[in-house]
Amino acid sequence: MSDFERQHPVAAVSRAFTLIRGNLITILVFLFVGAQSENFPFLWWIGGGFGLLLVMGILNWWRFLYKIEDGTLHIKSGIFVRKNIYLTKDRIQVIDVTSGIIQRLFGLVRLDIQTAGSSSRQAALEAITREKANEINWILRQETESSVEEGTTEAGVSTAVDDARTIKIPYKELLIAASTSGSFGIALSIIATIFSQLEPLISESEYFEYIFGLLPSQTDTVLIIAIIAVFVIFAWLISFFSTLLTYGNFQLELNKKELVVSRGIFEKKRITVPFNRIQAIHITEGIIRQPLGYASLHLESAGYGDDKGTGSIVLFPLIKQKNIIPLLDEVLPDYQKEMDGIKPPSRSMRRYLLRSSLPVTAATAVLYWLLNFNILIWILPVASVYWGWLKYRDAAVGWGTDIFLMRSRRLSKSTAYIKKRRIQDATIIQSPFQKWRNLCSVQVFVASGDQGKSFTVRDIEIDDGMKLLYQVRKNGTGELAHPTDESNAILLPGWA
Amino acid sequence: MAEPLFHRITPRAIRVWQWGNSIGNLFYFIIPAGYALFFGLDDFHFWMVILLAAIFLLTWILSIVWIPYLSWKNWRYAVDEKEIDLKRGVFVKTRTLIPLSRVQHVDTRQGPLLRWYGLSSVTISTAATTHEIPALDTVIADRVRRQISTYARLAEDDV
Repeated sequence: MSDFERQHPVAAVSRAFTLIRGNLITILVFLFVGAQSENFPFLWWIGGGFGLLLVMGILNWWRFLYKIEDGTLHIKSGIFVRKNIYLTKDRIQVIDVTSGIIQRLFGLVRLDIQTAGSSSRQAALEAITREKANEINWILRQETESSVEEGTTEAGVSTAVDDARTIKIPYKELLIAASTSGSFGIALSIIATIFSQLEPLISESEYFEYIFGLLPSQTDTVLIIAIIAVFVIFAWLISFFSTLLTYGNFQLELNKKELVVSRGIFEKKRITVPFNRIQAIHITEGIIRQPLGYASLHLESAGYGDDKGTGSIVLFPLIKQKNIIPLLDEVLPDYQKEMDGIKPPSRSMRRYLLRSSLPVTAATAVLYWLLNFNILIWILPVASVYWGWLKYRDAAVGWGTDIFLMRSRRLSKSTAYIKKRRIQDATIIQSPFQKWRNLCSVQVFVASGDQGKSFTVRDIEIDDGMKLLYQVRKNGTGELAHPTDESNAILLPGWA
Repeated sequence: MAEPLFHRITPRAIRVWQWGNSIGNLFYFIIPAGYALFFGLDDFHFWMVILLAAIFLLTWILSIVWIPYLSWKNWRYAVDEKEIDLKRGVFVKTRTLIPLSRVQHVDTRQGPLLRWYGLSSVTISTAATTHEIPALDTVIADRVRRQISTYARLAEDDV
């Protein structure tokens, strides 16, 4: 493989589709403008657009060359501006073989090669044969295996697990995951946006009148409630099926040095994360899932980035609360799971309550007095006080010998395990009010994808905040600090 | 738990920030100007424009005579073999600890204003965040940069 090669021609099509997906909004705008103009046929717009993209795809494919030499993957790409990307064997962290719908039609695969930098996002081979993928994988792996020494520091992980172990998600839990998915809200807002755009078209059409004629006479309130109900059900269905398609066939595979997450029914995704790239684990208990006793597990990984550039990966989509620690024991035996912790002192409860309820109350007052909303809207401030109390109750920080636990709540309750030696920086923040009450907020950053991810716990005792900072200073060693005030001590994470 | 040895940044930073704010914060006057253009200057709107202009004038003056001084007064940095410690904040005080083994690279930067005063800023990047020690004498900035990169190499560790 010391000569430059081209990808399979299907890469051109796949590239064109990627372009479509990336420029969807621009395309929609163009279509909209095109539909308005009288003297330019609509079909011309679509045909021309697709033709252009296909030509771009073909040119991209033609100008994209790759070769492997001395364990270095060298990619030349770009139609006009030529870009040379060199990925050296010992910098490569993850090689992922995936197949989208287009690739699967032709029995091809997509190869993503990731390093810690962001430039590797362009280093994807969009469509190559499976044999070629295996060959490349083998060559690059061969080199890495022998030159990687960093794995030895965490060898405890690999020895505990025999060759490969596979964990699957039961159907029942997959269905629960789908029906309580958080993408529900997103789906709702998308539908609402589309509807607001289409609304003038619909209400002018005859069908609309016709359907309304069929319905029994009703008041505006009933109509609004009915419309909202339809939206909610529709959004729920969308989120249900999209979650089902995304996390169907979910499988977690544990190898010696890495864990492999594969998922997806049509579009299969396979994500490989070496154990020594894991920066943090966090457990999310959503507002619907928590009362049912379920949570989802995520991990933050350095270098690995999804399309959005974050390193957040779903480690397990849905799991019973009581099974979290057994699962983590299996996946990450070197993480301490239970430890002593501290919660914010009782005097910071007032701050939590006010912070949640003040903006909500102000907004409600405006809506009620200026926009004459229904009196029922005053439920919101009451709920926000409860929300603030939940936030207060769930905030906690814990530290073990080499690990931090940070627990907090926005809407969902999030519990993060962070190895001290993975912390990129730690900050304590003190506003004038916090200073007056001897409180502070702590924030730690871990690497995640190209950027970082932060975990924050607010309004803990300033002395505890300082202790936490000094724990980072000791960088993973040193004796444990005890909470300043024993009455704030709790045992974390507190799952039965 | 001994406190590290903290340094202040150069007092000339105050001058730089004063110039920076006096030019940069002029843009806020676009808001009352825009309001006047949009709503006109009839009685109620006239007073609104006056009020907005007064607020921005006050913040503009404060951002020149007072804030740079406070900002300088509260800035402290310390570098030793194990970590970088940064304290800052005018009203909201923050203190950040960056273990040196996490430092990916460290640069010095110099804009025209900083150059005029013979200053440089030191930028410290980790895999997650970027921090800046804003205004040090160019010679000191260079020394701090070299110090950090030497220590960082000693403390090297994977991400």
